[in-house]
Amino acid sequence: MNPSGEGRVTSTADIDAAASPRENTRFKDKKDETVISVSGLTPSAARYSRLFDVLVVAAVVTIFAGAIHLHVMLTVGDWDMYVDWKDRQYWPLVMPVSMIMFPAALQAIFWVNFRLPIGATVGATVLLIATWIGRYANWWIWTGFPFTEGVPSQALAGALLMDMTLIVLRNSLFTSIIGGFAFGFVFWPSNYSALAPFYLPVEHQGMVASLADMIGYTFPRSNMPEYLRIIERGTLRTFGSSVSWVSAAFAGFICIFMHQLWWRLGLFASQATFLKNSDVVKSFMGIKSSVAS
Amino acid sequence: MSGDALPRRANVTVIKTFDIDYGLFAFAMVALTILYISARLYQQAFGFSMGLDANSPEFDRYWMTLFRIELPVLYGAGVLCWSYLFLTRDRSIETVTPETELRRYFYLAMWLVVYSFCIFWTGSFFADGDGVWHQTTLRDTPLTPSHIILFYATIPIYLFFGVGSFVYAMTRIPAFCRGVSLMHVIAVVGPFLILPNLGFNEWGHAYWLTEEIFSHPLHWGFVVLGWCALALAGVLMQIVERLRELIPLVFKQDAAGSPTDANPFRDASKKCGPEAQRQRYKPTTVSGRRSISGKSK
Repeated sequence: MNPSGEGRVTSTADIDAAASPRENTRFKDKKDETVISVSGLTPSAARYSRLFDVLVVAAVVTIFAGAIHLHVMLTVGDWDMYVDWKDRQYWPLVMPVSMIMFPAALQAIFWVNFRLPIGATVGATVLLIATWIGRYANWWIWTGFPFTEGVPSQALAGALLMDMTLIVLRNSLFTSIIGGFAFGFVFWPSNYSALAPFYLPVEHQGMVASLADMIGYTFPRSNMPEYLRIIERGTLRTFGSSVSWVSAAFAGFICIFMHQLWWRLGLFASQATFLKNSDVVKSFMGIKSSVAS
Repeated sequence: MSGDALPRRANVTVIKTFDIDYGLFAFAMVALTILYISARLYQQAFGFSMGLDANSPEFDRYWMTLFRIELPVLYGAGVLCWSYLFLTRDRSIETVTPETELRRYFYLAMWLVVYSFCIFWTGSFFADGDGVWHQTTLRDTPLTPSHIILFYATIPIYLFFGVGSFVYAMTRIPAFCRGVSLMHVIAVVGPFLILPNLGFNEWGHAYWLTEEIFSHPLHWGFVVLGWCALALAGVLMQIVERLRELIPLVFKQDAAGSPTDANPFRDASKKCGPEAQRQRYKPTTVSGRRSISGKSK
């Protein structure tokens, strides 16, 4: 280069260079200086790289919040919507089996492509946030169902355990066996604290009912879980007892296979595959047939 | 923009800079947020007061009027946008410069963000609202205050942006023109097929199955098609792979960090890139674990 810089015609890189005093100062005191340095990017390039990161985060959070919430709503939503649906037999089984699907796929996408052990936690978190937005804006503001009736399930504890297993073992199969089982098994105990108040027995017209049942009697809706009560028959047996742990263990067993299946689905979905385009379509876009062929 | 706000020496002539126009993206996000909140407020105001009886004149005035307006407007806007994108396609897509290509990848990412934003409002927020509506009012007809927003407004909106992102990529980005992105097809066509699946859903509800149980197998078509959202990860991976090549190219910076030599303000002792990183750090690696350079020992 000309040391004096006289008459030099510059380009984007040179503009970056001119920007360096200020931008170097900006990056100098930050902990991410090392990362920027290792990446080999100029500050401007790093800034646009970060911009792309922001766009990716925005896309991932919103689309998976929508997709996971839709998935859970339409597969096991009734168990999640109402406290008196949260029985001891089906709820601890069907909820984690459904809730593990997208987190397992996200875990594969984040880990295999970016070595980020956060996929399961991201999935469980966006689901919980999306669910609460709906609970507040729709269930409470629109139709007036109390939060005590619509308290949602959460799978954060299981998701954290699953990600922790992946960090330690770095293997999808063992993450399925240990982390997947943990995801299903801890679902029931990790939701226990939120549900414990609803186990309290109350007397209703001379019969003993749980507080959850009483809330259900007070706020009727189209999917009142009469069939659960017919199966259970004995009021307080709706919650707790050893059956819950049996359900939790069975859920863990199913989650092992579900995790592996959805891990592989996540890998399939994140492949950057281009199929061959036809010459006719390419010629429409100005690609000459000789090049296209 | 990188260059505009920077002090420049008088003897430097700028011939090009890399910048991105955020205007349309910001406009779309703000407009959609207002639109969705307005739709929800309309439900709040006229859902229960005017929307309980599909045969009433009030229902016709408040809800069927909305239905008759939104269908042609939203689908018409979609067709117009897709046609515009196609007719204004880059006819010399082979010779696109790296700067232009990089800029278009950012715009494609913005299309996908808006598409994802619409998926959230549809798949989570308004679908949840449809659930609570049916839990409260039982079934009426395929045209209810929740359906008129969910099925006939929010779904056409995300189709607008989903198909739009696909047409944009195919008409402006070389890689998406030379080959068809399988995951982009899945990410767009899957949610698109939710629309015809509505026919199956309403057909089943109209004849045999009530909506009392939200997790009824009749709804599982929506679930399977919703799984296609996972394919967005593949599209983002395709973008990432190309950005890894384009960003150093556009900013004239290779992995070794050689352009630092041309930077009079940069601390010459601070080399960047993998080689400099290896010199600066001497990572202690555990046997069998991945080293900081990413290679297994």
